Amino acid sequence: MAGQKVLERRLEMDVVGTSVPRRDAPSKVAGLARYTDDLQFPGAWYGLTVRSTVPHARLLGIERDPAFDWSGVILLTAADIPGENVVNLMVDDQPALAADVINHYAEPVALVAAADRATARAARDHVRVRTEPLPPLFDPLESDHAFASYEIGRGDVEAGLAAADLVVEGTYRVGHQEQLYIEPQGMIAVPGEDGGVTVYGSLQCPYYVHAAMKRALALDDARCVVIQVETGGGFGGKEEYPSGLAIHAALLALKARRPIRMIYDRHEDIAATTKRHPAIITHRTGVTRDGRLGAQDIDIVMDAGAYSTLSPVVLSRGSIHAGGPYACPNVRIRSRTMRTNTPPNGAMRGFGAPQTEFAAEMQVSRVADALGISPAELRRRWAYRVGDVTPTGQVLRQSVAAVRVLDRAVEAAEFERIRERTAAERLTRERARLAGPDPAARTARGIGVALAWHGAGFTGGGERHLASVAAIEVDADGRVRCLVDSTEIGQGSRTVLAQLAADALGIPLDEVEIAPQDTRVVPNSGPTVASRTTMVVGGLLVAAAGRLREEFEARTGKSFAASYRDDARSHGPARAEERFDGFSDISWDDATHRGDAYPVFSYAAAVAEVDVDLDTGEVAVRSVVAADDAGRIVNPQLATGQIEGGTLQAVGYATIEEMKVEGGRYMNDRLATYLIPTSLDAPRMTALLVEEPFSGVPHGAKGLGELPADVAAPAIVAAIHDATGVWIHQLPATAERVLAGMIELEGSDPGPAPEAQGAVS
Amino acid sequence: MTLDTLAHPGVIRFKVNGAPAQVTANGGRRLLDVLREDLGLTGTKEGCGEGECGACSVLLDGRVVDSCLVPVCQVEGREVLTVDGMADGGRVDVLQSAFVASGAAQCGFCTPGMLVAGRAYLDSGAPVTEDAVREAIAGNLCRCTGYTKIVEAIELAAVRESGDGGWQLPETKPVHPAPGEGPSYARPGAPPSGSWTVATSSRGYSEVTSISPGSLQEALRLLAEHGCRPVAGGTDLMVMLATGAADDRQPLLDISNLDELRGIRLETPASSVGGPGPRALVLGALTTFAEIRRSPIVTEHLPVLAEVAATIGAAQIQNRATLGGNIANASPAGDTLPVLLATDAVIVMGGASGERRCPASAFFTGYRATARSPEELILRIEIPLPSGRRVRFRKVGTRRALAISKVVMAVSWREDQPETPAPPGDAGNLSAWRDVRVAVGSVAPVPMRALATEGILDGSTPTRVAADRAAAALAAEIVPIDDVRSTASYRRAVTARILRRVIRDAGGW
Repeated sequence: MAGQKVLERRLEMDVVGTSVPRRDAPSKVAGLARYTDDLQFPGAWYGLTVRSTVPHARLLGIERDPAFDWSGVILLTAADIPGENVVNLMVDDQPALAADVINHYAEPVALVAAADRATARAARDHVRVRTEPLPPLFDPLESDHAFASYEIGRGDVEAGLAAADLVVEGTYRVGHQEQLYIEPQGMIAVPGEDGGVTVYGSLQCPYYVHAAMKRALALDDARCVVIQVETGGGFGGKEEYPSGLAIHAALLALKARRPIRMIYDRHEDIAATTKRHPAIITHRTGVTRDGRLGAQDIDIVMDAGAYSTLSPVVLSRGSIHAGGPYACPNVRIRSRTMRTNTPPNGAMRGFGAPQTEFAAEMQVSRVADALGISPAELRRRWAYRVGDVTPTGQVLRQSVAAVRVLDRAVEAAEFERIRERTAAERLTRERARLAGPDPAARTARGIGVALAWHGAGFTGGGERHLASVAAIEVDADGRVRCLVDSTEIGQGSRTVLAQLAADALGIPLDEVEIAPQDTRVVPNSGPTVASRTTMVVGGLLVAAAGRLREEFEARTGKSFAASYRDDARSHGPARAEERFDGFSDISWDDATHRGDAYPVFSYAAAVAEVDVDLDTGEVAVRSVVAADDAGRIVNPQLATGQIEGGTLQAVGYATIEEMKVEGGRYMNDRLATYLIPTSLDAPRMTALLVEEPFSGVPHGAKGLGELPADVAAPAIVAAIHDATGVWIHQLPATAERVLAGMIELEGSDPGPAPEAQGAVS
Repeated sequence: MTLDTLAHPGVIRFKVNGAPAQVTANGGRRLLDVLREDLGLTGTKEGCGEGECGACSVLLDGRVVDSCLVPVCQVEGREVLTVDGMADGGRVDVLQSAFVASGAAQCGFCTPGMLVAGRAYLDSGAPVTEDAVREAIAGNLCRCTGYTKIVEAIELAAVRESGDGGWQLPETKPVHPAPGEGPSYARPGAPPSGSWTVATSSRGYSEVTSISPGSLQEALRLLAEHGCRPVAGGTDLMVMLATGAADDRQPLLDISNLDELRGIRLETPASSVGGPGPRALVLGALTTFAEIRRSPIVTEHLPVLAEVAATIGAAQIQNRATLGGNIANASPAGDTLPVLLATDAVIVMGGASGERRCPASAFFTGYRATARSPEELILRIEIPLPSGRRVRFRKVGTRRALAISKVVMAVSWREDQPETPAPPGDAGNLSAWRDVRVAVGSVAPVPMRALATEGILDGSTPTRVAADRAAAALAAEIVPIDDVRSTASYRRAVTARILRRVIRDAGGW
């Protein structure tokens, strides 16, 4: 098949598929890589944001406290915005600065700037914001305003449930997750002589920022310049949020006629920026006694926060993936994303899929337990194969690696052997507890498995709509440069894209440069999100490189490698540009959410082992074995790095990352109280790479970045059940929840296993 | 002299990456800001400003610390190493090279701190095992890598440096700042003229002045005459200044150089009743948790204290935070406080009118309030060492490092006979417990002794019946609350269960 051909082609320079060290590693380890706050701009002032301290209110006025010396301080409000008071994204509902109404705690209301930070902070504290409270709404289940809703399905779910021998019902809740990039958000805006402004910042999507600045500042393309600076992590948290921050810094810079530094401290960053959407997901799963999947009825409610931002797309992706990678004849997925008076939620690695796939996987695990079938074996039976049909009616024509990744992880982790042992240990403990005094064991070991899928690239017609452009040029000095706006944010795009281009041109890796992500220099190849960079943008570069090479070789009669430098000197620069115009033979109807949701899906499986402390409920994740298929692996070391990092984010999501919200405000808004895993909490990880190439792109690569975040959490929660008999329905599975579950079991008489009949909840 | 003349921007002389530096700044200015802004060494990063992420790690006299928590007045005469100084002539060192080879840097923002922490660990000569390496970097958060390749890199560098095996790291080309980017040094991390002389360019958000007394006597006199705030390791105070919980108009009194407050020794102190008492472990108030862990005296005579020290923060915090600071801060979650209560420790304070002794059990008078008056300093802590006493400790936190406790407990008792492990279920050979102390933190406004629980256990053998009764009594005696970290019901249940486990372990059932 087509994918096979891609694999079989021997690469001349042997660059793709090798673990070349990332190109920016030397500067990063030497401390020479410069992030936004490392940049020096003589004469710069410091900007700060005045934020609302109430979740919902009419904004009556903003005044200066007369007791403070305001000379030497700039204060700006919505009235000072020269263009449209909106943060450009999908729907024009989010103002850059609140004008008449405040819709969430920490909403930006005004901006101050001063020559030093102490003065700026004092000025911020002396801005008087007058408000009249309005009744806030915090519960998405009580909200009456949906930013989006979908219904996806096939077959007849009610008939399917009625025909089932067993219906398992469950309601699952997942909370916010803060992206917690170690480098906080930051922008520096520098006004230009021509009335324009340049922003330097920590960001994922230069052209998102560019579009937002143009509208708010009423500037044209040329006078808005966006330059991505070395970025210390994003994970989606720097997808849309930087647009608003850039507008703020630029407004101050234009007013002050000097550079403005707006670097968030961690507390402000956690308190005010976007998070993963919380969700409440309800399942009814109908199965036959011998383990066939007959029906899935799924209901999803997401909490969008106060403004739409990307919520409709998060809901869309979450809905499409909500059944898990399983063939089911009768599926109904109904979903809605609701407005609440909390800070707007946004993109976070996985983008809706980790939430809904957690619920889907917990259902599969509970069904397996109820039927007495191995959870690995049950997934093996249900998993998609080539030719199966998804809930949106998409026929999976190629590159379906679900069973391969499952088998790989299960074998490497020795899942069945260990599961037998943990089951026996649990039985011994239960018998001991029934027979007499409680067992002496301090900890219990458990093992769990999960399977996930992740559509690569933008949903449906999204990629065609983006119409990304990538180019390769040979300049007059004979330097080869890739021109893309894809940002290196730690994932390795700077290296991977160079590898692909070098391979396609047939020249050594060292001879390919990636141009800086500066909107004056590079075209719009789309945002660095949605696990699309290697597949889509890489694909465009490979195609452009191929054309450039063919053209050179036809003209000079020599190989590109041998001729391009001399040719550039004699003939001048050359450039090949490639615009994305769609994957062939996919069709999607956005209104009905029917058709080919993605050109192809990637698949991953994870097996997690945990130790649960039987006195305290603390969960230690000992190990995770993860097998991920990304079509074609360009750089194995970078790929395993993505798997390990994404897995640990899922470990945090599953166990200790809990955002407590009261009165619409994040209560643990410091690093001392919002906790992510340390090196001592991190499991030993084994990342296994599987290649099931995709023929729709010249290099066969699919998406990888988000996939690992979809799968480890349900594996861990299944392992907790294996160890303790406790099903956790709410993430994170904190020690508090696990202990409560264990105490409930300790107090009850276990009795015989539930019969496989009727509803089990 | 008035406070104004004493506490003002001063000149601090120290070394950075081997080169002399002379900086004029407020004494409370963060070392992080001095490095990044005054000296232009931007390799060290700020991730949180609260000592919770380690991105700002530097070596101070060879020990890894969070530079966001070090007031520059405490750097006088000392040596600082930053990531900028690790490469020599643009050529990266073995550890940096191992990071490149192993893929240990992704976004790179945690990398400088990781390198510094890794370098400190390798230089310590301690055994390089995976567990030890993970502990060495537990104070450095990474969000990109999952830590796997960072641990591999440090292990690889250790092998390479020890000369074992034929590991050959790939050549890493020399790195220099790109033209036009920032200061251009011949050697990264070195000043252009061989030394730095700078005055602070811009005030941080919260920057206090400081006074550095030369002796304890001078410190006590300054405390009595002026309103200034003592700072030792700064790991609580600098966070409070950063968050606005402490007033930055009040100058710091830097007591970190007072030798009278250092040292760990064994003594036979005079007791208040008269006549020689039992031997005691005496720790100066400035003793850091790293010093406690390294001390052979502690290891031999009160190993539980080293166990406690190992649970505090991570390496960066342990190298700076002091026992005296933990006591003076008097958080109900203070990790050392239950052990001090359980061992009948005595807090010795000093003021202008001399020394004063206060038992730990009377020291914590209310929420974050102590018996120490503002003109006194904690001088030392005396912990009696009666023979045959056992002490057990357990801390329950959200994660395994950098965690404030949800519950923290110490239990001590004496047995009449040497402990003989009884066969399971055989209560006949168990000795009765005497002088029982049960102390718990994070379950009340103060770290507390559970007196009713102690009463039940005193005179009892550690049987299942006694454990159940004691656990129930303890659950009833504590007054935990719901807070951002945990719930009252969890704390109540866990406190009871971990007490029961302590008794169970002793009873062998």
